[in-house]
Amino acid sequence: MAEKEMKFEEALAALENSVSELRKDNVSLEDSIRIFEEGTKLYEKCESILNNLKQKIEVFEKE
Amino acid sequence: MAKPVKVAQLNRYIKQILTSDPILTNVSVIGEISNIKYHSTGHVYFTLKDETSKVSCFLPADVLRHIRYELEDGMEIIAIGYVSIFERGGTYSLNIKDIELTGIGNLAAAFERLKAKLAAEGLFDESLKKPLPEFPEKVAIVTSATGAAVQDITKIIKSRNNYVDIFVYPVLVQGPGAAPDIAAAIADINRRFPETDVMIVGRGGGSMEELWAFNEEIVARAIHESLIPVISAVGHETDFTISDFVADRRAETPTAAAVMAVPDIGELKKYIASLKDELLRTLKHKAEYKTKLLEANSPEAMLLYIKNKIMTYEMRIKYANSQLQDLNPANIIERGFAAIVDENGKLISSADRLDKGDKFTAVFRDGKVKAEVLERGGN
Repeated sequence: MAEKEMKFEEALAALENSVSELRKDNVSLEDSIRIFEEGTKLYEKCESILNNLKQKIEVFEKE
Repeated sequence: MAKPVKVAQLNRYIKQILTSDPILTNVSVIGEISNIKYHSTGHVYFTLKDETSKVSCFLPADVLRHIRYELEDGMEIIAIGYVSIFERGGTYSLNIKDIELTGIGNLAAAFERLKAKLAAEGLFDESLKKPLPEFPEKVAIVTSATGAAVQDITKIIKSRNNYVDIFVYPVLVQGPGAAPDIAAAIADINRRFPETDVMIVGRGGGSMEELWAFNEEIVARAIHESLIPVISAVGHETDFTISDFVADRRAETPTAAAVMAVPDIGELKKYIASLKDELLRTLKHKAEYKTKLLEANSPEAMLLYIKNKIMTYEMRIKYANSQLQDLNPANIIERGFAAIVDENGKLISSADRLDKGDKFTAVFRDGKVKAEVLERGGN
């Protein structure tokens, strides 16, 4: 998965996908842990994009 | 009896009288047009008549160009000219130098005639009307240099928009020379200042005679041919002129024309600021919404799921374990029961396996006892 180029919406969709996978009963514990780690990476990517945006908004508001 | 003269001499004599008579060399005659014919040479022939009499009229092509009204049979006109004789034919006619129309009724009729003629040619079609530019940089005003109209227009434009260049092109706005002057001005601006974005053509209020220049064909055609959009601003709200129909926009008053011609910069600035605010607001909302979406899928949320999973597994393990413990032989022994095992230590779980005399070991929780079967069955 090329996370560097991923757009916000793509990453968020993949994250939501991971979470719904995790909720399933038939997923093994090992897979669950793997999905959790991938999901956390996606979450961090989304968070950093949002934080960038919020900083820019602050700059606009000051103008 | 006097000596007879030749016909030519008679006619020549009549011509001399006519050309030297002060009245007949410059006469103005009122009558009704009939039998009007437009010749291919450009000259016009018609008869002018009243209740009892008539006279032939000749309107040369070069004079027709200056006539300010559409001519038609049935029209009452004042024809101004001189009486001339066609010597060889022995006929006379009124050679016309100018035609006047008087009375609102006659003017209104002439107005309707020209309006119908130009409408039929398509000069008033909506599809020909050019839109006014949204952000003009140069505005031309064709009007009288004196009078309220030009001052009203320039004042309003400047108060709305200090960015645009205003260019006043003074013209006559009433009288016979006005229409050619106005038409020439419109053409001149198109030729020498084609970068002009919009043109206002008009004047203040007045009577139908005073406004008549804006009803003349030459002005209508000049407006029609103008590549620069024209706003017609003639007189008051209730006055409608041919210029109003052929122009790209009609303004009811000169002030209205100024408002039409240029945008209000102050209003525009406010609008842009409000757009920017809305942009920012929308952006913030979007960020908040996406944040909410994200938080619903945070690592904490994911960990909860995993913990739940683990808890479920733990419960299963515990349950299986407790079941296991229940089945643990050692537990049964702890409870006070003895396990019967054979000499190899294997559990004997059925009485059928033992016969009288067989040896076995009973394992108690605190020790073993070797035993021998006395008899089967019994209690």
